[in-house]
Formats: sequence, structure tokens, C-alpha cells
Amino acid sequence: MKLPPVIARHARQFGTFAVFVVLCAVISVLTPHFFTVTNLLNVAQQTVINALIAVGLTYVIISGGIDLSVGSILAFAGVVMAHALRLGWPVPLAILAGVGVGAGCGLVNGLLISYGRLPPFIATLGMMSVARGGALLATDGRPVSGFGESFRWLATGEIAGVPVPVLVMVLVYAAAHLVLQRTKFGRYTYAIGGNEEASLLSGVPVRLYKTGIYVVGGGLAALGAVLLTARLNSAQPIAGINYELDAIAATVIGGTSLMGGQGSVIGTLIGALIMGVLRNGLNLLGVSSFIQQVVIGVVIIAAVLLDTFFKQSKR
Amino acid sequence: MKKLLPLVAAAAVLAGCGKKAETTAGAAPAPGKPVVALVVKTLNHPFFIDMQRGAEEAAKAAGVELIVQAAEREIDVERQMQIIENLIQRKVNALVVAPSGSREIVPVVVKANQAGIPVLVVDTRVDAPALQAAGGKTATFIGSDNYEGGKLAGEFMLQKMGGQARIAILEGIPGHETGDQRLRGFRDALKGSPGMVVVASQPANWERDQGYNVFQNILQAHPDVNAMFAANDLMALGALEAIAAAGKTGKITVIGFDALEEARAAVKKGTMAGTVAQDPAQMGRVGVEWAARVLKGETPPADIAVPIQFVK
Repeated sequence: MKLPPVIARHARQFGTFAVFVVLCAVISVLTPHFFTVTNLLNVAQQTVINALIAVGLTYVIISGGIDLSVGSILAFAGVVMAHALRLGWPVPLAILAGVGVGAGCGLVNGLLISYGRLPPFIATLGMMSVARGGALLATDGRPVSGFGESFRWLATGEIAGVPVPVLVMVLVYAAAHLVLQRTKFGRYTYAIGGNEEASLLSGVPVRLYKTGIYVVGGGLAALGAVLLTARLNSAQPIAGINYELDAIAATVIGGTSLMGGQGSVIGTLIGALIMGVLRNGLNLLGVSSFIQQVVIGVVIIAAVLLDTFFKQSKR
Repeated sequence: MKKLLPLVAAAAVLAGCGKKAETTAGAAPAPGKPVVALVVKTLNHPFFIDMQRGAEEAAKAAGVELIVQAAEREIDVERQMQIIENLIQRKVNALVVAPSGSREIVPVVVKANQAGIPVLVVDTRVDAPALQAAGGKTATFIGSDNYEGGKLAGEFMLQKMGGQARIAILEGIPGHETGDQRLRGFRDALKGSPGMVVVASQPANWERDQGYNVFQNILQAHPDVNAMFAANDLMALGALEAIAAAGKTGKITVIGFDALEEARAAVKKGTMAGTVAQDPAQMGRVGVEWAARVLKGETPPADIAVPIQFVK
């Protein structure tokens, strides 16, 4: 059987998208509460944090790396920003401080990997612990909470009926997609992940770009922290534990290869939405939380299997 | 066609899961029967499983449909928020919630208020100033005071050690309200007794294996420790093993918190001096009972105490 050309061209995303559509259809049939405007906006908002972490991780994974520290960076950046807000800093400046901390942690990751020649797994595993410790030290282990309305607007506000966090997510994804597909930074990301040696020999400044990729990863995790803090009206030093695993799941469901060199941010967005829809649907259905974990695992595996199948049929 | 098989299979798996869920968890409520949702912190801790059991009994007696949900991890405040948002979408009639974070729960309480769904809080209090600032309201709080529990433990240790002790403390996950309150209560009970010296206070993150390791390390640094308070029983039980390994069984006074089955047995055996018992089943029971009564238009008292006691 030959696939229609439109599908064949986008085969990489099609498998994931098919899972997404089937999932939505099945849940819509099982519960009337799913396919409503308020609930779909609800799902979108619940997807935002994971989606923001995952988009940075997509860059890292396409470049052939991994970043285990994003959950801890989220916590660290969040509490630094929260402190700044509590000290009365203007909101944009406080956000900048938080994102700066995230990007800074990413920079350290990148330098250790590019110039220190550490495997990404090791460097970011170390950072995972360092950033978590930093978050706990900065707060004495206590949550920092209570912010002004202008900051909370980032979570509670709407523009033309669309919640602000969802808007941020859409803008970030649009930008990340364009950068990955249309710029040198994007092309080099694929090239480094595809074959680092060959990239180096053909004159790609591999170390510089690799470092940059981890800075992006850390910065986007910190952006997730900004929205999470606004959403909860609190920054917790223990926030984001295991979020790196959710983000990795969203990325691989979205068809990005853990071997590097392949993937797309649109796929990752669908991957994150699949996880969001699944959790939302299982809650709506009142499924026990133990069965939920089994179902989520099954869907991750099924999605990646399907993706592999569509990739093969493309050849 | 053969190539579409995996797709069909995936759909079948999903549909299968959905169906199963419907029959086991009762997704389709009987018409006219009000739905009460109990959202706890996690369902992999005996404390909340007991709470669920109590809630189920009450739901049967009161004739309401009960849904029980929880995040996978006790500390995942965002996930708990998502679950409650989803239950609001599902239009449950009342929410009984054990907040994972006393401030972080506030935004979603406000959402429930806006949807006209009453919120009854169990086990962990919602931060009152934060709730007030956000303009939210809860129907009632049902629980026992962790601070009081810690204080009971401290007073017992003070009396048992005759005012002279070298004390080690095993803390829960740093930044966790429950643990902080227990420790504060414990320390406050020791205030004014200069003979009761806390030589070490270290986190073992609520876990048994870490309780073992951390206490072993503490014993290395402070071999003179003769009393220990753990913010939960799992850590205390872990520490008991470390004490046994060091050949010090019976020489260190161990006090835990939660009165788990195993801890009660250890108290009976004499390896543990005591543990603080809350009554989670009662919290669940009273929570659902009152949810049903609120739906009938009754107004609960603002505070419903569930007794706490010291098992020794």
C-alpha cells in the first residue's frame, strides 16, 4: 500500500497526529465533558509547562544530547524570580533574572559538554543536583509565594479569549519552529546531531553551537518556571521533580529520535498535547490513578511504535 | 490494509482502557446521584489509602457517587491542580481535597468557587491569608493538627528522657508543610529544657531507605545520640534497621509519626518508643459525610477536629 503524497511528505508527524486524533475521538465518545471549549482551553493550559520544557529539550535531543537538569533548573529559576518579585523588582526585570538563571545553568551545561568534553548525560545529571540544591539553599527549603496581580496576569489573563500561557506557548513554538527550519542555528542543530565529526570537518563551529543549544534549553525551562510560578502563585524549591522525564516523553512521542539528527518541534507539541489530553481524559473518566500510569505508558510506547511504522512506510 | 493494523490496535487498546475505567471507577454517574470527588496527595501511601477507605464507607452510607483521584507524587502540586481543574470540568457536585501545597492550592479553590462547587479541605490546611487575598473560600477544614502531633511527640520524649538527651531528627522533604509543622511542634515542646540537645537534624525525604542511610551517617558523626524523632514512620522504621546494624537496639529512644501498622508493631515490641496517630479514615469519612450534607444545604462548622493521639 502506498501512502497518499501529502501524508508521505509529513509522515514523521503523521503517526503522532493520528494517535492524537484517535485519542481525542475515543475520549469524546466516552465522556461528554471532554469536547467543550472550556475543557479544551483547560487542557491547553495544563500542557503549557511540559510543552515549554520539551521544546528546549527537542533542540538538545536533535543535536544528539540529553538534558536531565531541566526540572531542577525550573525550580531554581522559579525561586530566584520569586525572590526578586518579593523584593519589589519590576515584573519584567524579575522574569529576566529568572530566565537568566536558567540560561546560566544551561550555559554551564553547554560549556561542560562542549569544552569539558563531558557526556551530556553526566554533565546534566550533575546540574540536576546542583540546581536543585541551589533552589533549596535560596529558599531555605520553603516555598516563596504571594505575588502582585500584574504578575499573576501571566497565568490568569486572556487576550481575545485565549489564556496568556497558551498564547506564550504558541508564540514560542512558532519561533522555535522557524529557527529550527529556517536559520543556521537550526541547520547546525540537525547537522551536529546527524554527524558531529562531519559537521566539525565541514567547518561548523560545533562547540559554540552546542553550548548555545543548552543555553536555549535552560532558558526555556526557566520560562516554564515563570508561568508555573504565576499559575500556582508560588515558587517551590521542590517544583519540577521528574519533569524532565515528561518532557523527554513528549519529545519522543513527537517523533524526535533519541539518537539525534531527526525531529521537529511541531511533533513535540503534539506529543505534549497527547500527554495533556490523556491525563485530562482519564481524570474526566474517573480512572484510578494506578490505571492511569499504565495507560500513559502504553500510549507512549504505542505512539513511538506507530511513528516508526510510518517512517518505514515512507521509505 | 495490513499496515493500518497498529493504528487499529492502538485505538482498541485505548477504547479498552476507557471501558474498563468506566466499569471500575463508575464514570457514568447514576442519574440524580450527586458526585463527590476526593482528591488526596497520592495513593501510594497507607495514610491516604486509609482516607480513601473511610471516604468510600461514608459515600455508601450517604448515597453519593465517589471519585478518588491523586497525583502520582505526593509533592506534585501542579498535577494536583490539573486533576481538580479536570474534575471541575466534569462538573462534580462537591470536592473534598487534601492539598499537596497549602498556598499552591489557592488558585484552583477559586476556580471551584467560580464554578459553584463547594470545597471541603481535609488533612492539610489551606493558607488562610493567601486564600483571603485571592477571594476564595472553603466550606470547612477537617483534620488534626500536625503541629500538635509534633508537640505531643516532643513532650513524650522530654518526659521519657527525664530532660536529658542527645537528639537526632529525621526531616521530610525540605519545604513540605506537613513536615515543617511536625518539626516546629516537636522543637517547641523542647523549648525551655536546655538538657534536650538536638545534635543533628537532617532530611531523609519521607523515605525508608533514606531514613536508614541518613541515620547511619548521623550515628557516625554523633555516636552519643540517644533519642530520635522522625517526621514520619517510614523514616523511623528505616532508622531502626540502622540502629540494629550498629548493635544499638533499645539504646536509642525512637519516636515516629503516622502510627503505621508496622510502627505500631515496633512499639509493641519495644524497639520504638512511640508514634503519633492521626485518623485518616475518619478524615475521609467526615469529609464525604459533610460534602453530602453541604449539598443538602447544611452549613458545616469552619473547623472539624479529628482527634490525634500518642501510641506508646
